[in-house]
Amino acid sequence: MFILSFLVRRLLQGALIIFLVTLLIFTLLRVVPGDPVRLMAGGMAPEALIEQIAKQMGLRDPILVQFGRYMAGVVQGDLGQSFVRPASGAATGGSGFSDASRSDRAEVLTLIADALPMTLQLAALAIAFALAFSFLVGVPGGLAPNRWPDRLAFYVSSIFVSLPNFWLGIVLALLFSVKLGWLPAIGYKGFAYTILPAIVLAIELAPVLIRNLTGSLASVMQSPFIAVARVRGLGRQRIVYGHALRNASVPLLNLLGIQISGLLGGVLIVEFIFDYPGLGLLTVNAVMQRDFPLIQGIAIVSSAIFVLINIGVDLIATLIDPRLEY
Amino acid sequence: MSLAETDVPLVVTETPSNRKGVSVSRRIWRAAFASYEFRVGLVVFAVLVAAALLYPSLSGIDPTKMNVAGRLQAPWFLGDKWSWSAPLGTDQIGRDMLVRSLVGLRYSLLIGFSTVVLMLAVGCTIGMLAGYYGGKVDLVLMRITDAQLSIPMIILAITVLGVSRPTIPAIILVLGLSSWPVYARVTRSVVMTERKQEYVRAALVSGASDLRIMALLLAPLILPPIVFISVLDVARMMIFESILGFMGLGVQPPTPTFGSIIADGRKYLLNAWWIATMPGIFLCLTLTSVNLMGASLERARNRIYGGA
Repeated sequence: MFILSFLVRRLLQGALIIFLVTLLIFTLLRVVPGDPVRLMAGGMAPEALIEQIAKQMGLRDPILVQFGRYMAGVVQGDLGQSFVRPASGAATGGSGFSDASRSDRAEVLTLIADALPMTLQLAALAIAFALAFSFLVGVPGGLAPNRWPDRLAFYVSSIFVSLPNFWLGIVLALLFSVKLGWLPAIGYKGFAYTILPAIVLAIELAPVLIRNLTGSLASVMQSPFIAVARVRGLGRQRIVYGHALRNASVPLLNLLGIQISGLLGGVLIVEFIFDYPGLGLLTVNAVMQRDFPLIQGIAIVSSAIFVLINIGVDLIATLIDPRLEY
Repeated sequence: MSLAETDVPLVVTETPSNRKGVSVSRRIWRAAFASYEFRVGLVVFAVLVAAALLYPSLSGIDPTKMNVAGRLQAPWFLGDKWSWSAPLGTDQIGRDMLVRSLVGLRYSLLIGFSTVVLMLAVGCTIGMLAGYYGGKVDLVLMRITDAQLSIPMIILAITVLGVSRPTIPAIILVLGLSSWPVYARVTRSVVMTERKQEYVRAALVSGASDLRIMALLLAPLILPPIVFISVLDVARMMIFESILGFMGLGVQPPTPTFGSIIADGRKYLLNAWWIATMPGIFLCLTLTSVNLMGASLERARNRIYGGA
């Protein structure tokens, strides 16, 4: 029953956070300059018409009224419709004058539901790469403090953390895709298109994981229970993989939970670079086009994912280490 | 230990063996400075900063001057038609890549450092108040900090900068206000433990004001755990600045920034790869040097705290 009360408490907290994020984004979008109607209707549209459309869409009401109306929709699962994207695909807007009736505009929920699996696939592969690489470099480093594997881990993480993701993306695409032709890079026509962006994200994630793993493994190896395990005659393999790593992986897991929010930023840029049709690319385009409902929807969904991941991380941590409490 | 018990002279004699007399901050700096990695980072960083400050004015080349005749020149190591006037080649309208990269480095450093100063000011103040006063102040301030941590800041940042005109102060403000929670948390935890110590109570009893205690007694103590975080954050903020520039949300053209040069160079990747690559190498070198220093400080601190 502890689990249940834990879940209820955390989910309520999470709902509050999502509400605050939504309120913040909603207000900011309406306070900062830049009129979405001007973009929607096109530069040639007369001022009176813009006012008329804006009124019709409720964009001239007080912000709190707009917010109330929006939230009323959200709790019923309606995230609204995109300002600029038609249901049939490519974005409209720009210089042409179009006053499409609101019915053929894309549902925000559909747009996000189409993009989200792509981003999850990318993120999962990136995390897998990052973990594999961190263990490969970090475990030897943690087992040999102050010797060369430790130094190697130190240098590798210092260099990785210094590679700006967008630049690395461009350079890797140039190298592996254009010059060598090993991996496809731009757009998405199959799973192979996920690999290069995932590597870039993994390189961004790895340094903190490596450093943390080396540090915590080194300190776990000093603790009395490892000495006892040696006395019990357990083999080195069993001590390292069965006991030390298990303890060292709890801080790693917590860190991964925090890193996920950082991953969101990385996903944005990397998808933009590789023209990968996920949530990040959708966000960048939504911001460029001042597509308020889409930006709000993405903010809600991404903070919900963030909240859920953090709850999940805490749950898994208690499974790995039963001493932790909810 | 109270003052009455100390028979040892209060004046600390300066002998090498007397390590206790040296402040923790100074010991951390010394230990870090003694490490090979820190020195490498420091030297590379100093050279890059000196180059960024001096070369653009010494060479007299205007980073925005176009020279269509000499456009798309390759860097010196590629041969053919390079000249000493443009050692790293030129871009699509003949602007000198070396000068542009170095001017970009100036803005990157300016924004990186100012942002961290802002983060330190906001985060440490909030953490100090929360830790010192405790109770309701602590509750409210820490809830704000938690909420801040769970907001997808990158979306917020590009939203604000995307719909308003990005100026240098706006960029510093957006970046700085998006990453202070770490400082608030660390400061709070240090202040909370130190606040209960005898010497703080002694100061209170002898009539020191809260402000005086916070500024003179507690502020120096938050330095050791925060120095390395802020050094590493300078590098992180420089990356953010370049990302913003790349997306067209950084300092606006014609001012060269790493991000905007790389974004331009991306269009000429196939026939002039150096335009996108060179500024990135400068950025990487700078970031690696800063990160080496920050990580050495972190190590030194962990070693001293772990050993003490």
